[in-house]
Amino acid sequence: MTSLFRPYYIIQESEMAQPLDYNRRSRLKHVDQVFRSEIINIIPLTDMEKLFQLRILDGAERERFSFLPGQFVMVEVPGYGEIPISISSSPSHKGYIELCIRRAGVVTGILHKTRRGAVVGLRGPFGTHFPIERMRGNHILLIAGGLGLAPLRAPILNVIENRTDFHDVHILYGTRQPDMLLFNYQYEEWNRISDINLKVIVEQGDESWTGPVGLITDLLKKIRLEPLETYAIICGPPVMFKFVCAHLQREGIPMDRMFVSLERRMHCGMGKCCRCNIGSTYTCLSGPVFDYWTVMNLKEAI
Amino acid sequence: MKYLGIEPKRPKVGVFDFTGCEGCELQLANKEETVPAFLQAIEVVDFREISSTSSDDYEVALIEGAITRDDEIRRLKEIRKHAKLLVALGSCACFGGVNRLKNGYDLDAVNQEVYGTEPKETLPTQAVKEVVSVDLEIPGCPVDKAEVERIVQHLIWDVPYQFPAYPVCFECKQRYTTCVFELGQLCLGPIARGGCHAPCPAGGSGCWGCRGPAADPNLEEFLQIAKDRGFKKREIKERLSFYGGFEDMP
Amino acid sequence: MLFKVLGKKEFTTFIELLLNDTEVIAPKQVGVDTSGKPLHQYLPVQAFTEIDLSYETTEYSAKTYFLPFRENLSTCSFLDMVWDRQIKYRVQPRAIIGLHACDINALLKLDKVLAGDRFPSPYYISRRKNTFIVGIDHDPCEGGFCQAVGADVVTHGFDLYLTDLEDRYFVAINSERGFNVLQRVKTREPTARDNNDYLDVRRRIAGQFKPLEVHNLPNLMDIEFESKVWKKWADKCLSCGSCAMVCPTCYCYGIEERVSMDNAESAKVKQLYSCQFLDFAMVAGGHNFRPDRETRLKYRYYHQHRGFVEAYEEPLCVGCYRCGRVCLAGINPTDIIGDLQTEYQE
Repeated sequence: MTSLFRPYYIIQESEMAQPLDYNRRSRLKHVDQVFRSEIINIIPLTDMEKLFQLRILDGAERERFSFLPGQFVMVEVPGYGEIPISISSSPSHKGYIELCIRRAGVVTGILHKTRRGAVVGLRGPFGTHFPIERMRGNHILLIAGGLGLAPLRAPILNVIENRTDFHDVHILYGTRQPDMLLFNYQYEEWNRISDINLKVIVEQGDESWTGPVGLITDLLKKIRLEPLETYAIICGPPVMFKFVCAHLQREGIPMDRMFVSLERRMHCGMGKCCRCNIGSTYTCLSGPVFDYWTVMNLKEAI
Repeated sequence: MKYLGIEPKRPKVGVFDFTGCEGCELQLANKEETVPAFLQAIEVVDFREISSTSSDDYEVALIEGAITRDDEIRRLKEIRKHAKLLVALGSCACFGGVNRLKNGYDLDAVNQEVYGTEPKETLPTQAVKEVVSVDLEIPGCPVDKAEVERIVQHLIWDVPYQFPAYPVCFECKQRYTTCVFELGQLCLGPIARGGCHAPCPAGGSGCWGCRGPAADPNLEEFLQIAKDRGFKKREIKERLSFYGGFEDMP
Repeated sequence: MLFKVLGKKEFTTFIELLLNDTEVIAPKQVGVDTSGKPLHQYLPVQAFTEIDLSYETTEYSAKTYFLPFRENLSTCSFLDMVWDRQIKYRVQPRAIIGLHACDINALLKLDKVLAGDRFPSPYYISRRKNTFIVGIDHDPCEGGFCQAVGADVVTHGFDLYLTDLEDRYFVAINSERGFNVLQRVKTREPTARDNNDYLDVRRRIAGQFKPLEVHNLPNLMDIEFESKVWKKWADKCLSCGSCAMVCPTCYCYGIEERVSMDNAESAKVKQLYSCQFLDFAMVAGGHNFRPDRETRLKYRYYHQHRGFVEAYEEPLCVGCYRCGRVCLAGINPTDIIGDLQTEYQE
């Protein structure tokens, strides 16, 4: 007697045979497959943060990989685990991506110990992005606090590369102390070459610090805004973007013209593990980039 | 790991027994399929169960058993001086274990009950952490070799080891066990630390809490539940004190 | 939908046909509780006599056959400086007999999350498509409120669905696979009497549910966000995760890396987790987004009765009441929803 049920082999589905592409999120694919990627450079930024340049090994995969500013990847270090990291490089850069990683847990700890040439896995890109297209023809406020400059750097570079599309561009950055400033070797370039108003502030100065001391909102007060022709991107800890957004709102910028990036624990990046839920919204699918109205409307977000 | 350009450490390990049944030490030699790899990964310099060599040159000291005599206190303090990392292995080392039960009685009476007319020197039972500082605790009666392996791998490669925060119930459910409360038995599962894969309830007897309390246990509610289900106060207290892990709790 | 009528004797033949051919999972009595009530579980069976289709409910849902508690997602082999990764999916066919409407509705909800249009999961789809499902109608179980959440009736998501008409089964056929398998045994077309009897049984079942007020629950959840109700129940919560384990729709998980002792390979293991655990939303560095029981308990209900509704126009909960039954502390959805509904009426 022939058997009653023919086994269904999912790997024979035509879509499973197609090259892996996480931008096609509705397609069936090996969701736990990774892009094997080589660490081509490690650039120390501070005691706690390093910038990793990663190149996808397979040429065709590398060519196909594309992302938008604000999106993140899952970095997998086999044997150690997987973590979500925002991409810090420009989306127009095809050769490699840059990830700014703070030493905080097991996986980031081991990444800080590893060396150039090591191969790790990448999945992604995942999540929503900053709507740079929609911001064209407007004034742009790019505001970061602390490690927030890591996710903000992608839109910064994107805006710089298309500088003529925008009116005034302000970058405001604040950290607790001067030795915590990220990417300080690039400020000069952003400020001078790209005609951008860059202001940096710290909460506590030291002997060498000659810049302003205070909170990020102090920098904001000095900027004259045209609220209805301005877009703002704010990256940083919740307590910081809450104050910044409240200030901008008082200045008259509509809530749907302000964008923030949230972070949560994540295990999948694909709306399955529920670890990143804010209330019941998935940070990985509906975020990490949210407009401020959505954040206000989400319980538990701030 | 090697692919990351990180070379393994091969820690020198000493295993030392105090008052206990040596069951945890036996566990170290258990799980035959991985014993060679296990012994490859570490360098055992002192371990009475499997080798006759003895040395003071170790980085990691695994301590088995509770502390019940003066000479044990001196020996333990000496080991602490040599060891960079001191690990309490098993419920006796972590909480005092079954040995701790005697602390509820008059010491002389206990001595006489066991040794009759030839009493032995004995002190109230202490956990290792009550005598010296402990860097890592691996509770269990006996310890789970797989957990010991993961901790060793953690020491060698920095691979993650997460001490389970969840209670035994979680793993009990994951193996489809019928709740022993449903069968009329007492069980510490809701408040005891998981990670053991819940063998006791699966075998038909409730949990005795050999791994101590779970992270943030709701003891108050647990006591209420046990009472509502008709368990006597004495019975509950006996269960909680069996391995000594719940002693610090109100 | 096609319907057939299957005699009880032919039904035995039909089950034996399945048993001879494939792995069969069915409700099986595993013991009795302290009050003498039989306890059932969905377990692999070898003989028709092991199956008890008159079961009231099971302690565990059948979720584990689609979303196992532990699952190896991939294996990575280390070869000195390089590594390679392998992924395997489960393909062995399997039949599950005797699922109730709530559990089939639960699968339909899981389908939305796991086989829908946002990163469909091959692990789940492979198991789902390789599972032959025979459902069965039953009188409401104690505590069950499936009717209130619209999960007491099921129109798809199964291969065959049985309604017991005492001396025969009324069979709904929902797949070609089901149709073909049923061809192997003797069946007949339903008569007017069969149809009548079937509709009578359905009416009898539908009339027995106790009402539960779930009107406007999503908005109520928001209004009651700071309600004392959450603290009242959370004070009892043991954070043991049992509710999520027995739930037919809870799907959240954690990932663990397991490196072999000889360091030759590493497995990426998925383990179903519970949002009630202390470390559920803890991030590297130690910050915990949900440090207290009250918040955690609240968000379990939030996800089921508000968030899921927002995304899919229906609650995630199917009203099977397994969480209420398993909870030693007596926390249950009926009382919590009841408390939320009445807080402003007092």
